[in-house]
Amino acid sequence: MSGEGQRAARALRSIVIVGGGTAAWMAAAALAKVMASASCALTLIEPRADGTAGAAEGSIPNLRAFHRLLDIDERELLRATRASFKLATRFHDWRARGDSFLHPFGSYGLDVRHEVFQAYWLARKQAGSASRLEEWSVTGLAAALGRFGARPASDSSPLRHLSYAYHFDAALYARFLRIYAEKRGVHRIEGEVTDVTLDPMGRIESLRLSEGRSVSGDFFIDCSGAEARLIGQALEIGYEDWSHWLPCDRLVAIDCESAEDPAPITESRARESGWQWRIPLQGRTGHGHVYCSAYLSDDEAATAVPGGAPGTLRCEPRLQRFKAGRRASPWVRNCLALGEAAGFLEPLEWTGSHLVQTGLGRLFALFPDRDFEPAIGAEYNRLAALEYERLRDFLILHYAASQRDDAPLWRHCRAMPLPPTLAHKRDLFARTGRIVTLEEETFSPASWLAIYVGLGVWEGRHEPVIDLLGSPAMASRLEAMPATIRKAVETLPAHATYLKEVATLA
Amino acid sequence: MTGSAVRRIVIVGGGSAGWMAAAALSALVGRRVEEIVLVESAEIGTIGVGEATLPTLRAFNATLGIDEIELIRRTQATFKLGIEFRGWNPHRTFFHGFSDFGPDMRGVSPHQLWLKARTTGDDESYAGYSIATVAAGLGRFAPPVPDRGSVLGSYSYAFQFDASSYAAYLRAFAEARGVKRIEGRIVDVRLRSHDGFVEAVLLQGERTVSGDLFIDCSGFAALLIERALHAGFDDWSRWLPCDRALALPCARLGAPTPFTSSIAHRAGWQWRIPLQHRTGNGHVFCSSYLDEDEAARTLLANLDGAALGAPRLLKFTAGQRREIWKHNCVALGLASGFLEPLESTSIHLVESGIGRLIELFPDRGFEPKLAQEYNRLMSRSYESIRDFIILHYHASGREGPLWDHCRNMAVPDGLHHQIELFKAGGVVVLYDSGAFAEPSWVSLYFGLGIFPRRHDPMADLIGDAALRRELERRARIVAGAAQSLPMHGAFIDKHCRAAA
Repeated sequence: MSGEGQRAARALRSIVIVGGGTAAWMAAAALAKVMASASCALTLIEPRADGTAGAAEGSIPNLRAFHRLLDIDERELLRATRASFKLATRFHDWRARGDSFLHPFGSYGLDVRHEVFQAYWLARKQAGSASRLEEWSVTGLAAALGRFGARPASDSSPLRHLSYAYHFDAALYARFLRIYAEKRGVHRIEGEVTDVTLDPMGRIESLRLSEGRSVSGDFFIDCSGAEARLIGQALEIGYEDWSHWLPCDRLVAIDCESAEDPAPITESRARESGWQWRIPLQGRTGHGHVYCSAYLSDDEAATAVPGGAPGTLRCEPRLQRFKAGRRASPWVRNCLALGEAAGFLEPLEWTGSHLVQTGLGRLFALFPDRDFEPAIGAEYNRLAALEYERLRDFLILHYAASQRDDAPLWRHCRAMPLPPTLAHKRDLFARTGRIVTLEEETFSPASWLAIYVGLGVWEGRHEPVIDLLGSPAMASRLEAMPATIRKAVETLPAHATYLKEVATLA
Repeated sequence: MTGSAVRRIVIVGGGSAGWMAAAALSALVGRRVEEIVLVESAEIGTIGVGEATLPTLRAFNATLGIDEIELIRRTQATFKLGIEFRGWNPHRTFFHGFSDFGPDMRGVSPHQLWLKARTTGDDESYAGYSIATVAAGLGRFAPPVPDRGSVLGSYSYAFQFDASSYAAYLRAFAEARGVKRIEGRIVDVRLRSHDGFVEAVLLQGERTVSGDLFIDCSGFAALLIERALHAGFDDWSRWLPCDRALALPCARLGAPTPFTSSIAHRAGWQWRIPLQHRTGNGHVFCSSYLDEDEAARTLLANLDGAALGAPRLLKFTAGQRREIWKHNCVALGLASGFLEPLESTSIHLVESGIGRLIELFPDRGFEPKLAQEYNRLMSRSYESIRDFIILHYHASGREGPLWDHCRNMAVPDGLHHQIELFKAGGVVVLYDSGAFAEPSWVSLYFGLGIFPRRHDPMADLIGDAALRRELERRARIVAGAAQSLPMHGAFIDKHCRAAA
């Protein structure tokens, strides 16, 4: 037998996905698309629907690459998921009560290296003559003005720097991907996993379901959420607890009808014992309250979420308990965990779907055969650990750099020792205005800058070094940018107008 | 403004590292910095042997606004498309070229496509997809076209030049922009008593040169960073035991090759770097396994043309300064560490050292976090290059005491993981700040005979016939494109021949 034949004979013949949320259907849809020409059966085991309403969710721009991979039409997506465009998050009361700042997607400046822009802006700020950061961001200014539209075909328009993601209804998004995946041959089974059978090597052999049937497979993807039915319960892989850095452990969410024009912004408002979100969809607004149960009861948390006004209550508030952290090894033998089974980070920067997407990207780059080389899984786990830690640090920064001290949660966060990676980053920025970029960062230096500046981390002491980085000509170019940006952004239609045009609901 | 900007920069040492730093920082003179001074001694020779570089040097030169053609003429430079490795794999010569092996196909890397399509016993045909490799093999060269989508725009190149002429060229450049050169031999370094920062260097003849920021380019002597500041040294000779080099130019016979050669010997290896006017040679070896006389005989027996002079001996220890930036002193070049020139990385390390100094440029407060970040970044670069070089020795199929030692030694964990991943599934693991990208690692793995146990299963989703057709098409295009280039020597004669 030739080497070639041997290799092909080791290919995966079947993949079983456990779970029915966004993570599961993202995995199913992506596998159905990428593996279209493979003779590999795709099965998804989904618990019986419990009628939970969807919850509005944010995302980050990279999700559009996922949709491109799947050839998803944006208009269809917007229609099917009540989506709106998202250009930024606005943080209220985080630095201090009454303060607010914007974290836009995309870059600052026009065709200028981030380091150069940053040195320039910090020098201006030091001199007391810097206007707000978002004036230098096409995406940020569009967000602030509530505008959005199609990006121009022209290579020279400042609007080509527009970056965006979506707000959508997560349940509708999962359903949208379900239709996509089922159309492409994913076999859906409704049922609960009651038992997991391992082979002598500790690999998952088959799953027994509630109605007695058994499902076997070569490779299993655990998207069962916090329950971690396979990776946690069956394979007993531990969970790294980060709640000492991210003490919030509950959220309550509710969506309301709304006749308001949706803004292209997620609102995030810091509260005494956590924070609240407000996400505009088409015809609805999602509200949620993330909080720390040590400082706030569930009832108190629920009353803090605006009930009827300005929209009408659609259903009972949904309560979720969680623990910040990550699965120690999300890939073990023939089982990969995605979504909340692989880790949980509160939705402060709306990276839930992004982490599923990058997990799938790593899976495709490190695709296994039936030998399940341990080195391959080890590389996946190495990269996943780095990615989660980077993101963890970014979220911790929001709490740790806040200047609030009006409640126990904030006092705890100001006093807690930081992970060394974050302490190094924060201190370097605070003292010198430089940004550290480590491996597997989700957020760009522009995003870190927005949060650092927004929270007032920079001490403004270090002599900025713009003249080493950019030419004198660069300084005058930078000078002119806010006006150029404003002129371009003002040609855009209102976000709500554009959204109506591309996604009119039937 | 806080008024705490660095006013005076003192660069100690005038080799290529010193003058590269002076040239790059010269834009500051009269703007932010009052004065930049470079202290060098004509008595102390520099290590300026014929030197090969990486393509990144062109970006460095471009930032300075240096005219490439003029530079080539002044430094007797030739063009470099990569490195030929002879004797490292006993079964065949292989090439590490400055180009990839073609584009991905449906997200699958080109080396994985080749792995799937290759027939039993074929360990070499992958090289036919690398335009730099094929062109180098034909002795052909022209600069790439601007269109990155075309195969003739998909490669890169570097220079092989006389490093002391490069330093001289940059000296003129820096002096014209106000850098002040002081001739003198440093006899002592004065530290500030309260914090141990460098205050001044004392020159022979009781002259004192003081400054805010000191850049130590004093080579192996490491006058400031080590002798005065005791920054410490991480010794890597357990992984890289070679500790001597004999350098010797010779007359060139025939046309210059558009590549550097690295020829493995009994207890080391020999470089061959063709310049316009001669060929640079050197024998890097391990003194535990080979004495200097025999090393010299080996070198002399393996020259293309007549030796020009007698071999010059260099002694070194592979490793890195523990704190490359300490207090108000930043080390560049050999003062910051040493890695043998197997992959032509020493000037590259100077470039990245300067680039990061600019990104993290201090003020007179010398915030320690800046040094910490600088050292973190430089260590990552050093370690990634170290590991890449270790791979050459560790995976070589040669026999003999040095080679057996290297094959059996425990390599650094990061490299071990990289090799395991490639063996398992052809996965190329790259770490942050690595100088070498995926095609470079693939060139070495394949070249040294490391072939994965399986290819990427995603490659199996591409039909066999379609894949074979595509690979044949690519090889044809690469061969035709390489053939269309002029001969390297003819290109130089036409465009950038040095004055006689």
